Amino acid sequence: MFGKVLVANRGEIAVRIVRALRELRIGSVAVFSDIDRASLHVRLADEAERVASYLDIESVLAAARKHGAQAIHPGYGFLSENAEFAAACESAGVTFIGPPADSIRKLGSKTAARILAKQENVPVVPGSEEPATNLDHARELARRLGYPVLLKAAAGGGGKGMRRVDRESDLEAAIRDASSEAERSFRSGEVYIEKVIERPRHIEIQVAADHHGNFVHLGERECSLQRRHQKIIEECPSPLVATNPEMRALMGEAALRIARAAGYSNLGTVEFLADAAGKFYFLEVNTRLQVEHPVTELVTGLDLVHLQLRIAAGEPLPFSQEDIAWRGWAIECRVCAEDPEQNFFPSPGTIAQLREPGGPGIRLDSGVYPGWTVPLEYDPLLAKLVAWAPERHGAIMRLLRALDEYAIVGVENNLSFFREILEDRQFREGRLDTNFIPEFFARRTRREESPQAELAAALAAAAHSKNSQPETRNQQQETSRWLSQGRSELLR
Amino acid sequence: MKMHVLVNGNAMDIDSSRLDAVLEVEPGVYSVLLDGRSFEVRAISQTDVLNLQVQGRRLSAEVIDPRNRSRRERSALGGGRQNIVTPMPGKVIRVLVAEGDRVEIGQGVAVVEAMKMQNEMKALRTGVVVEVRVKDGDTVGAGDALVVLE
Repeated sequence: MFGKVLVANRGEIAVRIVRALRELRIGSVAVFSDIDRASLHVRLADEAERVASYLDIESVLAAARKHGAQAIHPGYGFLSENAEFAAACESAGVTFIGPPADSIRKLGSKTAARILAKQENVPVVPGSEEPATNLDHARELARRLGYPVLLKAAAGGGGKGMRRVDRESDLEAAIRDASSEAERSFRSGEVYIEKVIERPRHIEIQVAADHHGNFVHLGERECSLQRRHQKIIEECPSPLVATNPEMRALMGEAALRIARAAGYSNLGTVEFLADAAGKFYFLEVNTRLQVEHPVTELVTGLDLVHLQLRIAAGEPLPFSQEDIAWRGWAIECRVCAEDPEQNFFPSPGTIAQLREPGGPGIRLDSGVYPGWTVPLEYDPLLAKLVAWAPERHGAIMRLLRALDEYAIVGVENNLSFFREILEDRQFREGRLDTNFIPEFFARRTRREESPQAELAAALAAAAHSKNSQPETRNQQQETSRWLSQGRSELLR
Repeated sequence: MKMHVLVNGNAMDIDSSRLDAVLEVEPGVYSVLLDGRSFEVRAISQTDVLNLQVQGRRLSAEVIDPRNRSRRERSALGGGRQNIVTPMPGKVIRVLVAEGDRVEIGQGVAVVEAMKMQNEMKALRTGVVVEVRVKDGDTVGAGDALVVLE
């Protein structure tokens, strides 16, 4: 096993990886940009080094050399799916904790991955294998598939460069927009065309492979609840798979065929779209640890970051497919500094107050602390709140309870929005699809303000304003000191 | 002695004897017991308006202490002024009000774009626009006043 590992990431995922390293008695090296000097991952790691940017390959490798790290965990985002970075690690003699550069290349382009999937007899969404180069070609293709169609960036993800086109007259403008957005985001303007699957559910399979030819899948996660094409609530099992149990084995085998064909090792996720009938179509492969990996961990009892480290160190998978069992239900909420009432507008700022939830069945993977300023330069994800219970309803109730305990003051956030979704009837019934969030906004009924809560707020406001006045401040502090003295006497 | 408090625009009279129900348990965090029910209210001071959070919901409050004249003059009931500020740096896309306009609580006064997203800045109280400090296309910094209400 490694003696020291560099974590080439920030925020909650860097904290998550540092925790795993400490559990395995492996030294941890955090890296930080100038903006992140005070971030939690820097405080928790054993060692830390400034880098020019989380995307700067040379800077990250120099930090690894300086600190004597034998391996680099890239987390998600940033350099995690960058084949050049994986190759640069290999040639620098540092282990990249992830798949070989060659597998990343094979699966990184969506069009290349589609071709691979078709070769392996995995169903794909009907569409083009090669990018739509000219308009005539695109028109013909769209006509053959039948409208509506979806334009997607070949190199993309996260909804960038994605456009739905309902009629031919919109096609030209949509291609122009999608292509220029893709160019800006991924430095490649290639887009391809797919048939739109109506009311699709997003279901993905977690796979794991070692360097000894062993492949297993760890079941599915359902991530149908998305805003701006990014997931916000994920669960394991999928409510759809729970009612069609044969889906898990079928999707699992399909995912493993793709992983084998790509010469894959370490952890990866094969994403599918599924329709209400349980028919599924290959979407893409994420060649890294996923944000939503904790729901799989809670249901399978495995630690996926430990597993990544063991695989990268050359150990064989410590289990076979028959050993994997799924127990109970886990649901994750991505807690973000953003305002759901303003189209999920990001809200950077200082966290003035924070109370984090705990208690039975609750896991919180957080990257923040009170007094810390959420920078506007990075993703607004603050923490992942995950609940486990023997069945889905129990997990929902635990999440609601934890959301009541959770308080974040100073930045806008989506905690109240999660409360509303978890109370929603359609969500409770497990009727999910990727249109859920926009439709939820259309049907939601706002809760009434309780007059008693308003009175409590008025009283607190009055007390707060009294406290802020200089002449009463000292008196108040003395009272508090007296009270705390009294309390400690009682606790003796 | 009574204090006037505006919570989300609703005026309430608070007798100071009722403050016995309130205990500051952490800085800015108040435990309030009302008829045996337990509430926790979190407060962050802003210049004129308090932002409060109770049961996961956000409320805004203004306190008018009759003993404190200067505060009263700045407040809504006293007819004071209030700046509507942008919380983050960005670009003014559109100014939605003009001098002399009457605005209601929650009404948008300007749209500011930051991090490629547009955000509507809202009035935290009812009032009349006495000054518009920005125009379409202006670049603004965090904390800059966009519009002044009276």
